Amino acid sequence: MSQRVEIDPGRVEELIRREEAALVDKQPRSIEFYKRASQSLAGGVACGWHDSPPHVVYANYGKGSKLFDLDGNEFVDYYLGYGVMIVGHTHPKVVEAVRRRIGLGSHFAMPTEDAVAVAENLAERFGLPLWRFKNSGSESTLDAVRIMRTATGRDLVVKIEGCYHGSSDSLDFSVAPSPEDVGPPDRPAAVPQTAGIPARFGELLRIVPYNDLEAMERTLSAEAGRIAGVILEPIMLNIGVVPPEPGYLQGLRELTRRHGVLLAFDEVKTGATIAYGGAVEWSGVLPDVVALAKAIGGGVPCGAVGGTEEVMRVVVDGEFEQEGTFNGNPLTMASARATLTEVLTRDAYAHLEELRTSLAGGVEGVLERYRFPATVNAFGARGGIQHRAEPVRNYRDHLGVNERRIYLAWLYQANRGVLEPPWGDPWSISVQHSTDDIARYVENFEGFVAELTG
Amino acid sequence: MREVVDIDLGLVDRLIEREHAALEVKHRRSIRYQKEASRSLPGGVSSSWQTAPPHPIYVSHGKGSKVWDIDGNEYVDYHNGYGVMVVGHAHPKVVEAVKRRVELGTHFAQPTEDALVVADNLAERFRLPLWRFGNSGTEATLDASRLMRAATGRDMLLKVEGTYHGHHDALMVSVFPQPDNMGPRERPNSVPQTAGLPQSYADLTLVVPFNDAEAVERAFAEHGGRIAGMIVEPAMTNVGLVLPEPGYLQAIKDTCHRHAAYLAFDEVKTGCALAWGGAVEAFGVVPDLICLAKSIGGGLPCGAIGGVEEIMHLVERGKVDQVGTFNGNPLTMAAARATLTGVLTPDAYGRFDELNAILESGCREVIEDHHLPATMTTLGAKGSISYSATPIREYRDGLEIDDRPSYLAWLFQLNRGVFKSPWAKWESWTTSIAHSDEDVQRYVDNFGELAAALTA
Repeated sequence: MSQRVEIDPGRVEELIRREEAALVDKQPRSIEFYKRASQSLAGGVACGWHDSPPHVVYANYGKGSKLFDLDGNEFVDYYLGYGVMIVGHTHPKVVEAVRRRIGLGSHFAMPTEDAVAVAENLAERFGLPLWRFKNSGSESTLDAVRIMRTATGRDLVVKIEGCYHGSSDSLDFSVAPSPEDVGPPDRPAAVPQTAGIPARFGELLRIVPYNDLEAMERTLSAEAGRIAGVILEPIMLNIGVVPPEPGYLQGLRELTRRHGVLLAFDEVKTGATIAYGGAVEWSGVLPDVVALAKAIGGGVPCGAVGGTEEVMRVVVDGEFEQEGTFNGNPLTMASARATLTEVLTRDAYAHLEELRTSLAGGVEGVLERYRFPATVNAFGARGGIQHRAEPVRNYRDHLGVNERRIYLAWLYQANRGVLEPPWGDPWSISVQHSTDDIARYVENFEGFVAELTG
Repeated sequence: MREVVDIDLGLVDRLIEREHAALEVKHRRSIRYQKEASRSLPGGVSSSWQTAPPHPIYVSHGKGSKVWDIDGNEYVDYHNGYGVMVVGHAHPKVVEAVKRRVELGTHFAQPTEDALVVADNLAERFRLPLWRFGNSGTEATLDASRLMRAATGRDMLLKVEGTYHGHHDALMVSVFPQPDNMGPRERPNSVPQTAGLPQSYADLTLVVPFNDAEAVERAFAEHGGRIAGMIVEPAMTNVGLVLPEPGYLQAIKDTCHRHAAYLAFDEVKTGCALAWGGAVEAFGVVPDLICLAKSIGGGLPCGAIGGVEEIMHLVERGKVDQVGTFNGNPLTMAAARATLTGVLTPDAYGRFDELNAILESGCREVIEDHHLPATMTTLGAKGSISYSATPIREYRDGLEIDDRPSYLAWLFQLNRGVFKSPWAKWESWTTSIAHSDEDVQRYVDNFGELAAALTA
C-alpha cells in the first residue's frame, strides 16, 4: 500500500463546525419538532438509535432511492432504514402486495399460505430446510440461541467481540465495549452493552475475537462439553464492514463440527443483501442455524430463523416453545413474499453487483488518488469505509478508527443530498438506486477527501 | 352455594370424538395443507401456538367480525389473533391508513410524525408521560425488565405464577409450571417454561401467586434489597380472565414502592381491549411502567413501553439502550394511529358493554338452567368461561380443572361457526367492535346446545 497522508485533526473539527451549522440551517422543522416530540416520546424518538448527532432527522416519505425529511430536503438514501429497504422505497410490487393483503385482514395468529411461500423461498436461498417467523432480528437471534441450547442440552454460547445480535439479555454483551472494559485481547471480557442486564447473563457467554481461529479453538477446547454453539455475523457489519479472512468461516465450520457444537449465522444484516443466498451462498459455508430479519420483509417488521432438520427437531417436537402472537403475520408475509419472489430475484443481485462495483470502485479510486488513510469493503448491497489506514480485522482494530472523520463524512454527505446511516454503520444500496445516485456519493466523498487533504 | 351437576367425562370424551369427526370433514384442505407446509415450516405453522389440536386451521381472509379458512368455512371470530383484532378485520379506517402509508414508504429507521401522535394518545389513555416503541409484546416486557433493573441497580424480578410475559429469557418463567415441579404455593419454584432457558437465568425471577398481596410482602421481606420490581398482568388472561380483587393492585404498588422497587403492568393483552385506558382506567391504579402490544397496532406487529419520567429518562440519556431497527416503523405507526384515534375511541367501548350484556345474560342463564359447574367473567372485549363451580383467583385454581370440557366447548363452537382461541382452558376470548348482536347470540346459542348435550 502506498504511503498515506496525515490528516490534521484541527481541520476536521473546523469542517465539522461548518457542516453542522449548514445542516442546522437545512432542518429547522426537524429541530423544532424534536422539542414537541420529546413531550411524549422518550428523547423525541421511537428508538434510541434515531437520536444521532447533530440532531434528530424526522423522515416524511420515501420514493425509490430517495428519502424526504420533514423539512422537504431530498436525499439519496444510503441508510435505507439500517439496511432494510434493499427493495427501495415504495416498490410497486411491495405496495401492491400490502394493499391487497390489508383488505383481506392483516392478522389472525393462524397460518396463511404466504408463510409457506416465504419459508420455501428462504429454504432455497439459505440451504436450510425448516423455518419459523419472528418480528425482529432480536427475536430471531434469541430463538437461534434457544434452539442451540435446546438441541445440545448445554448452556454456554460463544459470541464474537463487536458483533451485534439484537437486544436480548443473553446476547447483548460486548457489542461496543469501551477500551477500559474489554479485557485482554486473547480472553475478552463479557461486557453488558447497556445498564439493566445482570452479570448472570454474561456468565454463560464466552467472547472471542473475530478472524481468530486459534482463539476459537482454545475456547472450544477449554469448555469442552459445555458449549451449545457459536453465533456470529459471518461478515461483520456492526463495526463498519469487516470481512472474514480467507478460510475463516470454513475453519469455523470445521472446528465447530470437530468439537460437536452448533454454528449459527446471524444474517439479519447480510441475508438477502450481500447475495441472493446471503453469506451462506457467498461463503459456501452452511451453518446449523440462520437468523434473518431486516431486508427480507421489504419494510414491514419481520424476522425468521431457519435450521437443519436435526436442530429444528426441537421445534417440531415442541421441546422448545417457538412462539409469538405476531409470528408469520399475514401482512408481513405478503410483503416478504413479494420482496423475495418478485423483487430480490437473482437478476436483482446482478444489478446490485454493478452498482456495488461502481460505488466501491469510485471510493477506492478517491482513496488511492488522495492517498487518504481509509479502506473500503463492499459486498452486494452493503458496504462501508473504515477511517483507518490499515485494514480492520476485528473489534480491537476498529477501536482505532477515527470517529470524528466518520462523523464529518456523514455531515458532508447529508449537506449534499446523500443520507448515510448514522454511527458509521455500513451503507446500503437498493435495487432502485441509479448510476447517478452512485455518482453523487462518490463526488461528495471526493469533495470531503479533497477538503481534508487540500 | 348453588347446586351443580357433575360433568360426565365419559360423555365428554364421546362428544369430543363426535365433534372431531365433524371437524375433519370441514377441514379437508387445512389437514392436507399442513403436510405440505410442514416441509418448510416445523409443524406447518409460524408459531407453535398455531398448532393446537386437533390440527392447525389455515386462514384465508377476514372481514369485520368474521374469518374464513382455506376450506371456505366462515366463523365469527372470538380468537381475533390472540386478542389483537379488537378493531375487527379489515376495518376501513385501518385499511385506508395502511394503503396511504405504504405509498409513502414504510420504513426509514428515523422517526415520523405518526409516532408522536401515537405516543400522545397512549400517554393520555394510560396516564404515563413517556413512550417508546418495539415490535411485539415480548420486546415491551423485555424493556420493562431492563428498565426496572437499570433504575434500581438490582438483579431480581418478581412475577406472578401462570402469567405469560413473552418469550425472552428474563420472564419466560413459571408460565405453565406443572404440579410436579412448581413447588409450594407460598414459595413457588422459578421454573423455566421451555428448554433452552438456563436455570441460572430463571433463578433471578421470583414467583408469587396472583391476588395475594401478602405473598408480595413476603418476597420483599426475604429478598427486598435485590428485587428491582414486579411485573404483573393487572387482570390475568392466561387462566381464562381473572380479575384482580379489590385493593390488590394498589397494595402491590405500595409494597414495591415501600421497598424502593417498581411496578410494571403487562397490558399487552388487557391494554386497549379492556377499556379505553386499559387496566389503568378499569382498576384505577397507575403503575410505573406499562407494556403494550397486540390491539394497539390494529393488526400489524407492534409493541410499546411507557413509563414515569424517573425511569424513562434513563433511555433519553442512553444509560439504557432502548433500540431496534423496526421500532416506530412508519407502517405500524400509521395503523396504530388510525386504530387509537379513529377506531378505538372512548365511544367505541360502549359497544363492548352491550355485547357483554347479551353474552353475560345468555350464558349465565344457560349455566343456571343446566346447573353447570362453570363461571363466567367478561370485561371490555375480553371474557372467558371456566369449567369450575368456584371462581378462579390464581393459576393453581385452574390446574385442578379437567381440560376436556373446555376443549369440547372449543370444538363445539368451531363446528357451529364460532372461532375461539385454541388452548381454550387457559385462553380468554376477544370480541371486536365489529361484532353484531347476532354474532354474540350465536355464541350463546351454541353454548346452550353444548350445555344440553353435556347434561342430557
